[in-house]
Amino acid sequence: MVDPATDTGVPEDVAAAELALGLLEGEERGAALRRVLAEPGFAAQVEWWRSRLAVLFDLWPERAAPPHLAARIEASLDGTPASAQTGRFAWPALAAVTSAIAASLLLFVMVRPEPTVPVSQPIAPSIPAARPTSVLVAMLGDAKSPVAAVYDPANGGLRVAAGPGVPDARVAQLWVIGGDGVPHSLGLLSGRPTSLAPKGVDRGRIAPGATLAISVEPLGGSPTGLPTGPVVATGVVARV
Amino acid sequence: MTIAHANADAARAHLSEVLLRTGQEDRDAFRELYTLTSAKLFGITHRICGNAQAAEDVLHEVYLTIWKRAGAWEPGRASPITWLATIARNRAIDWQRAQGVRRTSPLDDAPDIADPGEGAEAGMLASESSRELIECLNGLEPQQRDAIRTAFFDGITYAELAIKRAVPLGTMKSWVRRGLARLKDCLDG
Repeated sequence: MVDPATDTGVPEDVAAAELALGLLEGEERGAALRRVLAEPGFAAQVEWWRSRLAVLFDLWPERAAPPHLAARIEASLDGTPASAQTGRFAWPALAAVTSAIAASLLLFVMVRPEPTVPVSQPIAPSIPAARPTSVLVAMLGDAKSPVAAVYDPANGGLRVAAGPGVPDARVAQLWVIGGDGVPHSLGLLSGRPTSLAPKGVDRGRIAPGATLAISVEPLGGSPTGLPTGPVVATGVVARV
Repeated sequence: MTIAHANADAARAHLSEVLLRTGQEDRDAFRELYTLTSAKLFGITHRICGNAQAAEDVLHEVYLTIWKRAGAWEPGRASPITWLATIARNRAIDWQRAQGVRRTSPLDDAPDIADPGEGAEAGMLASESSRELIECLNGLEPQQRDAIRTAFFDGITYAELAIKRAVPLGTMKSWVRRGLARLKDCLDG
């Protein structure tokens, strides 16, 4: 277990609760997310709080959904996706495979443009403004065994938590799928946290809304330059 | 076991079965899942999004996500309604924060969420863990409890909470942190 208090003096369990409740934004949120990646004990506490607080859903009042919505949803289950979010990528199924935990950690900015107008309400000076230069994060895979990736545009470094388990004589390979819908290799992962330094053109592809994906490839990586093995995890890049 | 508990267990078992079949791309199961859960999930997206059109669009996204992700739900890890409700809350918060507008005033037509500690409702909650959390929340000071509940049900941040309650950000953080620490002690106790 790590030191019970951070440098801000907030006990670890309270800091975990703050993140689980969604109280944080901007740099504080980024810092807490980085802590989730770096400290398994902290990540477990966040998950504990999430599950404890979830019982409050019992109290949430119901409200009848509009009658026409059921047909609209069903019509969009296959065929043309109804939202840009599922239709934007050449791999629509992958783009949609974001887990509940990723959804809870990530701010999906892919569908809507970044707000360009300042907030209209007066805001106390102590509230931090959004930082356009903050790090980008993606959670790949499911809630059971998420793989976290953090990209720092300032230095071009991409840190990835321990990759998924792969069979002998296989290796996990990380890909980015941007606006062109084509997977571009970012490098190979291991069972330990990995730091990658993507090439310049690939750096530009790691942007909010892009998809990161992990495939299982022969040792040395895909021989074709495109994923050849099963895709075992995907996640959407978001700014934190 | 009371009748209410038995009914809740049966409902949960049924919803689990429907969600599992949805995960096998069973359209009939998906329709039933929608019938069983859409009022709960719309209640969530409506409260957090703050307007009916956005709540409807987000709910649409939520059910598409459920359709594609239901196969990943693991019985035993999260209750089916918790899994579904979490998706709805997270999507609605994503939407709300992407708007870049702080929500600090109450919705005109959003119902207050009952504080079950005041009446017999706590006893009607289906699960032991629900009752335990509610009892521990009720042990907090009122402003601590209010802030934690509001953060959960409105999906808002420290900064928004501070504006909403017209207190300095530092004061709000202090209330919430003390409340969370006491909540943890109570839940661990």
